[in-house]
Amino acid sequence: MGRGTHTLPIAIRILVLATCLGLGFVTLRANPHPRQGAAVDLSGSPVDPWNASSGKVLVLIFVRTDCPISNRYAPTIQHLSALHEGKVAFWLVYPAKKESADMIRKHQRDFGYQLPALRDPQHTLVKRSLVQITPEAAVFDANHRLMYHGRIDNLYEDFGRARTMATTHELGDAIQAALNGKSLAAENVPAVGCYISDLE
Amino acid sequence: MTRGWQGIAAIFVLLIGVTAAARHSATSGGQGATSGSRSASFDKPGGAAPPQVTFARDIAPIVFHSCAPCHRPGEAAPFSLLSYADLKSHAHQITAVTERRIMPPWLPEPDSPRFADDLRLTAEQIGLLKAWVEQGAVEGDRSDLPAKPQFVEGWQLGTPDVIVKATKPFELPAGGSDTYWNFVFRTPVHRSHWLKAIEIRPGDKRLVHHANVLVDRGQTARLLEKQPGSGFGGMELTIESEVFDPDSHFLFWKPGSAPYVEPDGMAIRLDKNTDLVLNTHLQPSGKPEVLQPSLGLYFTDKPATLHPILLQMENDRQLDIPPGETNFLVSDDLTLPVDVELLAIYPHAHYLGKDLQGIATLPDGTKRTLIHIARWDLNWQAVYRYASPMPLPKGTTISMRFTYDNSADNIRNPNHPPQRVVAGNRASDEMAHLWLQVLPQGPTNHSSGQAPSAMRENGISESGGSVDPRALLQEAMARHNLEKNPNDFEAHYNLAALLQGRGELAESTAHFAQAVRIRPEDATANNALGAALLAAGRPDQSIPYLAAALTARPNYFDAHYNLGNALASQGDFTGALVHFRAAVRLNPEDANAEANLGSAFAETGNLKQARLHYERALQLNPNHQLARENLQQLDQGKTSDAPN
Repeated sequence: MGRGTHTLPIAIRILVLATCLGLGFVTLRANPHPRQGAAVDLSGSPVDPWNASSGKVLVLIFVRTDCPISNRYAPTIQHLSALHEGKVAFWLVYPAKKESADMIRKHQRDFGYQLPALRDPQHTLVKRSLVQITPEAAVFDANHRLMYHGRIDNLYEDFGRARTMATTHELGDAIQAALNGKSLAAENVPAVGCYISDLE
Repeated sequence: MTRGWQGIAAIFVLLIGVTAAARHSATSGGQGATSGSRSASFDKPGGAAPPQVTFARDIAPIVFHSCAPCHRPGEAAPFSLLSYADLKSHAHQITAVTERRIMPPWLPEPDSPRFADDLRLTAEQIGLLKAWVEQGAVEGDRSDLPAKPQFVEGWQLGTPDVIVKATKPFELPAGGSDTYWNFVFRTPVHRSHWLKAIEIRPGDKRLVHHANVLVDRGQTARLLEKQPGSGFGGMELTIESEVFDPDSHFLFWKPGSAPYVEPDGMAIRLDKNTDLVLNTHLQPSGKPEVLQPSLGLYFTDKPATLHPILLQMENDRQLDIPPGETNFLVSDDLTLPVDVELLAIYPHAHYLGKDLQGIATLPDGTKRTLIHIARWDLNWQAVYRYASPMPLPKGTTISMRFTYDNSADNIRNPNHPPQRVVAGNRASDEMAHLWLQVLPQGPTNHSSGQAPSAMRENGISESGGSVDPRALLQEAMARHNLEKNPNDFEAHYNLAALLQGRGELAESTAHFAQAVRIRPEDATANNALGAALLAAGRPDQSIPYLAAALTARPNYFDAHYNLGNALASQGDFTGALVHFRAAVRLNPEDANAEANLGSAFAETGNLKQARLHYERALQLNPNHQLARENLQQLDQGKTSDAPN
């Protein structure tokens, strides 16, 4: 994840500025991208999840309808969102351009998701979250600072190499740290799954 | 007294752990996996820039052959790999999984012998895939594309003669760890058939890691169902067979495998009142799923003339793996008492298995690797059939060498932190099994035109009478297992059954007695010991064992029948009547039980009922001599006074 380690300090520098300059900058930072590249909800309306999350900890989970590892995480993702309901805003983000709103609705029904979903065909959220894989999670604190991006847990060590159950829970730990205002030892733990770079 | 009693139902137990067989699926439009003469060559020496690798020319032939059989709609893989767009959207993933040999799934190392349907990619093929992605994954000239692979839809072998569907579907939860479920199929056949193939359709193939069929002639597995047809959980399955008829066929399904058609002469016998049990390994998909498998049965009019046998190497007793141990060795060695041809091999361990090897040491000291899996993965276990049968002469020693990793570094370790692990049937237990399907060479199998002298060497006794080489192998295995473990129930039982079949009744009875000592509440063993004692003219001694068999299994036909005989031999006809009645109730189509019930009625003075049951026996078997003679005696108004 060389790209992540180079980019992260820049994000941290901006956060320092944001703290100094106050709300005006935070608002600007929250929607830094042109509107036509913004993520959209399933009705096609642009959505800024930071604005929509009204100061809560924000979790974006990048998934794909045809990625088996991503799909196998559905119960875990749903469980984590239920566990933190009211305190954390969870969004599913579909970065594949070819996955239509109808495909996503069906996917949500099939896998029992009760989370709001966004399409991110221009990879606006992908870039801001520094994610490369589905499934991969990004956790932002209430100040929109990227606290963590990476795997949900260590169920998968590699393709086809899964534990019987996860023994570390990086996403849960990151959410807890964001809620408690604490920093994390590792801001990125690489995920195992399907490469977002393979998507057009 | 009426004339004699029908013979004692002799019981043989065959314990079957597994089955299996894997073949690669479907045709691929005649395209081989190797790149053709026009294709780019990845490993160009001399530092020149590698030529452009294109999907159409270089990649499609590889993928159509090695990936598409599974990566297509309706098959096990989660996405299709049939077009440029399909590949492009998983390009980096394909490089990652092929470079690390995660895909295609193929566990044997290259030092193993050549297996049929080898899925292993060559280094050149892997290099081409990598170069293609590094160069931008271009499509190339579409006119270079090979023909798209053609696949048979539906039943791969055509419409089956009989289709059986699981009575009830299984509901697989959305999440959690892997699940092992057994479906019991009631086969609707009314007479014996020979099967050339069983096609397994496990349901949604994305959920099934592997499945195998066990032939349950005694219909014992269904006893584990909470409701008829409900199926039951469990990773490993043991099935008792009440005849000495080793079901030595691997009936295995794994993703991408085509149904295996048994060679001529190696058909599988399917009798009425036989269940087929499908043992499945299922992986949750993330959403609730429903699975209702089907089996397609394909008949043949060519009966079995070649009789393979499954040799089971094992040493579960050695399995006592301390926590933290990274290289725990389990071994077993068996010397073959006859010449065999090795047809297929199936190594089996659970989640701690690490390096699995089977080795043959020939009588001249030559060593041959039978299989070597350096990175064992239960999820991709399979039966491996040799591309051509491997002859192994009498005196060859087959060695199993399995190592296990019970450390925290083994990511599949089911215990956190690691714990002591011993042998067992649960996923968190371990196993060390190496199954070999061999065709013994001798009087009953002549697959390779063996010389008569060699046949004599193998299978003809000094007196000139032939001995089934399968029995010699079974006996060698049973005695070998008893050396490893004097308390091996199955070994005592199987050895006793073999000896009984050979007429060595004293030693047979002793081994049945050992089996009962080890498992005093085992219905089958108690019945067998009782039957052996009865056959030896010791009915008084047989009665407690037959009664114990019925305590363990009240609806046990054979035990009722045998106890009826024992009591009748003791002159207790009222007691015998009770058990023959039960036997007839349990199996109304058994002419012997009807005839003996008739005799018991006759002995207790109820001639009307006696006549009725003799007549029923004759309806079931018009040639039933005992029933006919006894009926004639009734007609003459007299009965004989001595049983024989």
